[in-house]
Amino acid sequence: MKMKEWKSKISKKGKVTNNDKQEVDTSQDSTDQFTDNFILNLELVREEIGHNWDVHFREFNIGRTGIRSIVIFVDGLSDKDLIDKHIMPSLMVNFSAEYKHDLPYIKGSISTEFIKNEVLSISEVEKVGSIKELASKVLTGSTALLIDGSLDALILGTTKLKTRTIEEPVSEALVRGPRVGFTESLSDNTSFLRGSGENENLSLVKFQVGKHSKKDLVVAYIKDIVDPELVQEVENRIKKIDIDNVPESGYVEQLIEDNYLSPFPQVQNTERPDRVIAALMEGRVAILLDGTPFALIVPVTLSMMLQSPEDYYERWIPGTFIRLLRYLAAVLALFTPSLYIAFISFHSGLIPTKLAISIIGNRSGVPFPALIEALFMEISIEILREAGLRLPKPIGPAMGIVGGLIIGEAAVQAGIVSPVLVIVVALTAISSFAIPQYSTGFTLRILRYPAMFCAATFGLYGVIVFFLFMTSHLVKLKSFGVPYLSPVVPYRLSEWKDLMVRMPLMMMKRRPKMMHTKNPIRKG
Amino acid sequence: MILSPKDQITTPQAAVIVINFILGSGLLTLPRSATEKVHTPDVWISVILGGILTMIAGVIMVKLSQKFPQKTFYQYCNEIIGKWVGGLLSLFIICYFLLTSGFQLRSMAEVISYLLLEGTPTWAITMIFMWVGLYLIIGGINPIARLFEIILPLTVIFFLVVVFMSIKIFEIDNLRPVLGEGVIPVLKGVKTTALAFTGPEIMLLLIPFMNHPQKAVKALLVGVSIPLIFYVITVVMVIGALSVEGVVTRTWPTLDLIRSFEVSGLIFERFESLLLVVWIMQIFSSFTISYYAAALGLAQLSKKSIHPFMFGLLPILYIIAMIPKNINDQFKIGDFIGNVALWLFGLLPLLLLIISRIKGGKYETIT
Repeated sequence: MKMKEWKSKISKKGKVTNNDKQEVDTSQDSTDQFTDNFILNLELVREEIGHNWDVHFREFNIGRTGIRSIVIFVDGLSDKDLIDKHIMPSLMVNFSAEYKHDLPYIKGSISTEFIKNEVLSISEVEKVGSIKELASKVLTGSTALLIDGSLDALILGTTKLKTRTIEEPVSEALVRGPRVGFTESLSDNTSFLRGSGENENLSLVKFQVGKHSKKDLVVAYIKDIVDPELVQEVENRIKKIDIDNVPESGYVEQLIEDNYLSPFPQVQNTERPDRVIAALMEGRVAILLDGTPFALIVPVTLSMMLQSPEDYYERWIPGTFIRLLRYLAAVLALFTPSLYIAFISFHSGLIPTKLAISIIGNRSGVPFPALIEALFMEISIEILREAGLRLPKPIGPAMGIVGGLIIGEAAVQAGIVSPVLVIVVALTAISSFAIPQYSTGFTLRILRYPAMFCAATFGLYGVIVFFLFMTSHLVKLKSFGVPYLSPVVPYRLSEWKDLMVRMPLMMMKRRPKMMHTKNPIRKG
Repeated sequence: MILSPKDQITTPQAAVIVINFILGSGLLTLPRSATEKVHTPDVWISVILGGILTMIAGVIMVKLSQKFPQKTFYQYCNEIIGKWVGGLLSLFIICYFLLTSGFQLRSMAEVISYLLLEGTPTWAITMIFMWVGLYLIIGGINPIARLFEIILPLTVIFFLVVVFMSIKIFEIDNLRPVLGEGVIPVLKGVKTTALAFTGPEIMLLLIPFMNHPQKAVKALLVGVSIPLIFYVITVVMVIGALSVEGVVTRTWPTLDLIRSFEVSGLIFERFESLLLVVWIMQIFSSFTISYYAAALGLAQLSKKSIHPFMFGLLPILYIIAMIPKNINDQFKIGDFIGNVALWLFGLLPLLLLIISRIKGGKYETIT
């Protein structure tokens, strides 16, 4: 009795939605509706998608009743296992034996409604009324079921994308921390976030980007922490994306960033779910795109680019030490070659006399000015690095050794560069490897060259002016309304606890103020 | 949150702007100019007195501006003394800021070509400096304040490191006797030392940008005290190391102090490069803020956008910087600027404050 009520409810519901849909469809397009002519319907479907070699049509006799039916699916996109083991068997059993009715009765009652409610035991089933809709569903992996005499088709959710297994993030390896990295599947990625324990307040809002090939994009934030204006701004910028295809989140990043002329990245990308969760907890917003393991985090600050999740996983003393080391590395990566040039070509009087004598003695055979010498080595290192990146894994390190050691050694012996410069260049290269964000390391690598040119033209003064210029740019830069240099400036002493020094966790009681969070207290 | 409707600066930022504006060329020349006047080792007392006088003048300026917390000096002085006189006064102040800016530029070029880049033409040195300054001020008061906040801690650290390195050659006897010739020499030096503290006048323009204008006095007092500490340390260390006679004969005594000792075993044996780094940044901040103040004045007088004025002032600043024929001319211009500042910012604000008090509560409704 109860069962019957429930079923009739469902069927009513189904009818209602069905009617709604048909109304919508008729308003859009009335020429591609299904008719009661099965052959014609099939012909129309074949015309629409039948020319694709991967679309399969499987005709059969439904329930041994003699009514012709067909399932349509795309090989590779649909889960063949599900079709073979669950859908086809339940459609092809003898209905009159199975449902204890005589054949004519069964024959008369076969309809999409009946199949949906009584026969198919899979979770996702919906009805569609138009061929266009059927085609687009089939091409994304669903299976369509057409029955002779029905005015609509059933779409069965059999989509099964091929995903790779979860691996450790390659671009952000940690010694200590979760070994989980995002994958190319959006639903996997969102499930990492859900699975982290934040449930009722984690909002995952879906958007579609790309005019031609539509891709799903999810904006993630924590409802009771994030500043609603920030979410609004992020959503506005995403809605403004106007491009035919978005292959990777790098496209999104470049289309929503504040200043496209700046060399500094204004959006953080990460492969690590734990990093995204930490950012969400600070009131930031994450953007995940289907088809890429790189999630985006906004807004960002320069200090974030020099932090690694490991700073927090280790105890605070090593965390602080590593972080300070990284700041030092950033300064070294940016300024070492330019300071070398400035002191060698302009102010050799300012370095200790003995050192000056030994450097100049070493350089006496070098036929080039310091700038050319430094450029020569810096560019070779960059080329080596790029070459090592593209080479197959077993050859890469060998290549690095050959390039780094032999070219450096040989260049010194040939008298093209001085040994001190080799040290300088090596130090610079190592320092730029110590930057945890690849894109930020890139920025420093690029800015090194203008700094070197300034040093070659104006010496130490040029380096200072370059520093002032760069800082002037940085103080103007904003990422989604948050000053890029906060919390360094404007001074927020309470947030300096997590800037260069990583204070003990129990002392970090508040979320960053710059995020204007609804709920500023982390604990206590 | 995304775009604040108006540029606003916090109270610490206002203080930092004052500090950076005050600390400019004075850091290098104050020991000499003050010692020339005082001729006893008591210069440091003159420095303290000068600082206190500056604070008093600064508080008067702040009180005046606080009567009009939504307006800069250029906007409210018309209301106190009428459109024409007020406009003329604003023009004077704009000229003052331009002169200061040009003066800083030239001081920088002089020191750089004296110490770092002997062969490089002055125009090249000033040019890139001005462009970077222009790039910064186009962003408005907020980026300026933030840049100053970055420069200040660097200044403090580098400066203290360098100055305390010179403790090796510091002789306490050079500072004795205290008040050996009475207070008269000390008082003679007060005017000179007070001039090294020019900078609080920027408060006349900053108050409408502050998010808490009522805390302006606090910002000003902090803003003058920190340079005061810097100056006292500098003067004490320089005179202690070089003695009164030694200081008077040197053009840049602070630099000479740093050059006169070597610390072996560190990466650098000589630290003047570090001091120069700090000093160039300080000059940059004094230069940009006075440049901005002048452009802001012109924009507010003409009620037009500020950007054309920023670009237009660039060649004018260059010409002003090139006026002095040599370093002595340059110091004369410095003295001249100091005297102008004394009248414009020592007496005038007091006068205006009295006038506005007499005119009474008329403005209270406007503000």
